[in-house]
Amino acid sequence: MWYMAFRSPVWIFVFILSLCFLTPVKSAEGELTILGETPPPGFDPVTGERIIPNKRCLKCHGDAHEKTDFRDDGSVVHIYADPDKIKDSVHGEQACTNCHATIDRVPHRQSPEVVVGCVECHRETWDKHRNDPEEKYERLGVVMETIDAYYDSVHALPNKHDQSETNATCYDCHDAHNIGSLGSHQRDEHRLKNPEVCGECHKKQLNEYRESDHGKAVLEEGDSESAVCSDCHTTHDITSPETDQAKLAITKNCGGCHEEAQRTYFDSYHGQVHRLGYTNTAKCHDCHGSHKIKGEDDPTSEIHANNRLENCRVCHEDANDNFLTFWPHGDADDREKYPGLWFFKIFMQTLIFAVMAFFWVHVVLWLYREVMDRIQDKGFIEDLDHPDVVYFRRFPVVWRWIHALFAIATMTLILTGTTLLFAHTGWAKAVVVFLGGTEIEGIIHRTAAVIWLSIFLAHLTIAISNIWSKRDSFKWFGSTSMLPNWKDWDDLKGMFKWFLGRGPRPEFTHWTYWQKFDYWAPFWGAAIIGSSGIMLFAPETTAIILPGWMFNIATLVHAEEALLAAIFLNSVHFFNVHFRPERFPMSTTIFTGKIPIEEFKHDHRLEYERLLESGELDRHLVRRPSRRADLAASFITTVLIMTGLALLTLVLIGVMTSPS
Amino acid sequence: MGAEKMMRNDKMSNKVRNLLLALLVLLPSAALSGPSGQALAFTCAGCHGTDGSSVGPSSPSIAAMDPDVFIDAMEAYKRDQRNATIMNRIAKGYSDEQIKAMAWFFAKQELRLHAQKTDQQLAELGEKLHHSHCEKCHEEGGRPSDSGTLAGQWMPYLDYSMQDFIDGRRPYPRKMKRKVDAAIKELGEQAVPALIHYYGSQH
Repeated sequence: MWYMAFRSPVWIFVFILSLCFLTPVKSAEGELTILGETPPPGFDPVTGERIIPNKRCLKCHGDAHEKTDFRDDGSVVHIYADPDKIKDSVHGEQACTNCHATIDRVPHRQSPEVVVGCVECHRETWDKHRNDPEEKYERLGVVMETIDAYYDSVHALPNKHDQSETNATCYDCHDAHNIGSLGSHQRDEHRLKNPEVCGECHKKQLNEYRESDHGKAVLEEGDSESAVCSDCHTTHDITSPETDQAKLAITKNCGGCHEEAQRTYFDSYHGQVHRLGYTNTAKCHDCHGSHKIKGEDDPTSEIHANNRLENCRVCHEDANDNFLTFWPHGDADDREKYPGLWFFKIFMQTLIFAVMAFFWVHVVLWLYREVMDRIQDKGFIEDLDHPDVVYFRRFPVVWRWIHALFAIATMTLILTGTTLLFAHTGWAKAVVVFLGGTEIEGIIHRTAAVIWLSIFLAHLTIAISNIWSKRDSFKWFGSTSMLPNWKDWDDLKGMFKWFLGRGPRPEFTHWTYWQKFDYWAPFWGAAIIGSSGIMLFAPETTAIILPGWMFNIATLVHAEEALLAAIFLNSVHFFNVHFRPERFPMSTTIFTGKIPIEEFKHDHRLEYERLLESGELDRHLVRRPSRRADLAASFITTVLIMTGLALLTLVLIGVMTSPS
Repeated sequence: MGAEKMMRNDKMSNKVRNLLLALLVLLPSAALSGPSGQALAFTCAGCHGTDGSSVGPSSPSIAAMDPDVFIDAMEAYKRDQRNATIMNRIAKGYSDEQIKAMAWFFAKQELRLHAQKTDQQLAELGEKLHHSHCEKCHEEGGRPSDSGTLAGQWMPYLDYSMQDFIDGRRPYPRKMKRKVDAAIKELGEQAVPALIHYYGSQH
């Protein structure tokens, strides 16, 4: 029955009445009252807490004549805070006790515990003013980001010696009484003090830094433009220098001042790998040193001629003196300093431009002519009522295999090679991650290169042995010869006339001039890419006979020639063989080995007529490929074409977004 | 009919029981609330003067006194940590809440000072000492603050208090000892009287 009592209206009355007598209470206005008394002046009327004016604090802490005091144990404690600096700082309008929240009595009854909660206050202020249009609050957003970065940093981890403390906290680095807004004199002062602030804990590093060119400029000459700790190590994102994150950040930050050096470094193999996000190649500090960094003329500098080789040997164990002539920052655009490199760049770029310009014009005009012919019902049009059943045997099995492997190896080389060349792109980074890193990628590239060269040499061997076996009857300029002749020149002129509607389409022999170009181009490519690739493959061995600057030239021509091949093969070659309207969407001849007789007749009429006349034609005629063989060839061709077009897209993205 | 009567009697007894419950709750809360801070403070007038402005000479003025200093004193008396005549016995009679209410009451009272007989020369020496050694804590010449009330305070009280500090009858703050020692080193035995005369000279 007791519960009945609690349901009675009398109980409610009693409850309300009792509330009136409960103390302490807050009055209707929110003021605190104890036994009818409200807090006196100088105390917060709501919380009853003492309000300590800054003036009261500064009476002791602002006395420039007495900057220290003694703790209970007799040790000296610095208590001075410059009142002018406080007033001038971004915190100038804050009450001292807003940050020094543990201070409730002045004079302090006990040695006060200095506990300052920067994060909480900044977070609360940011939450309150997040959408405030006033400019002064904008910076608080950046502060919040730096706070998050700090929490992820090594400084926010518990100290090894005292787990109750972090390695460093806000006020270990920031002088909160002297924080200025962006561009203020306080920030300059803070910058100049940065090495010594960090050096409070990192003493060894500070001592090394003092000897460096950076350290001398900052600490001796007061040059706030020179590098301080936070310029390289970042301010809040600080991690152990052994981590990839730190290594990448440091190299990136060096470029904040040394833009040119960074640009040329990124053009080198070392820099390309680094730019992809990997740290296994030489970085700025691997050669230049870190805290003791000095100019190359200083005999104690790590990049002085007498000391440099030692750095090379960290990675290239057998590096010889020729390594010293390598240009780590070789700049192909700097004609005065690197004329050789400049020459090769101009030569290669002229070659690329000339070849591509010529063949793209060739492509566009050819496309125009075939489209015009189709509109006028002219040209080679497949007779759907009488599909070809007779085919011409164009490629033996060995050439088909060689082409397939050559295509796959070339595409693999393009993919793995251009990730380095276009290390600045997002796709390059994604591809490298997908492949398992730059080291794996290097293995894939070198394996593909070995396959490529092996095929090339195998072809050469077969071709030479074929010629040798027919040496008595071999005609160097016979109808099936790959050697260029005057007819090719005439055909080229004839094709341009045809493109422009000023003549008939030339009639070709077994190989057209564009097919001969496609055949001979890899010889040039093999010479340039192959030889430079071999040089870069084994640098220590190369350096036994060649000077170090050959690596610079090899890197440059390897990349430029590969670029030419990548663009040419995946655009011009694709058009000539697959995309021109007569062939669109593809020709599978290179995989089936067979070409429809009508198509052969159209493209190689002179050879057809020669074979017909000599009665040799029948020997070359075969049945059309089986449906399954046709499908398989179409599938393989499609995959290779699509891959080639994807590579072309990636390469063009790389070229167009290239910073240099 | 008998049943109806019984039911009515039940309702009556319920009402009585509820009223009793109400009283049970009301009485303790009324007792707990007790007299107001002001009413409690009135009882101090016998020694410390009306509203805490003492008419002297050994009971200090507590009007305008910093409330935390008042609470510290009362707490110290309660725990017999401060040399007392009668305050230790009086302080024990107050709850923390009552002490705080009285502290707030006295802090809001105007300090009415009385002229005291002082040695002008000594007071001037005391003023110099004060500014050299005491002003940082006892700011504005010792006006009421979180360091207590010195300016215009009754001189005999100040004298007893200083002796209590020096003789160890009252916890001597480390910094205060250092400062007083420095003042004595500077002016010798005259230092403490000089300071007392300086404080006494203000009204």
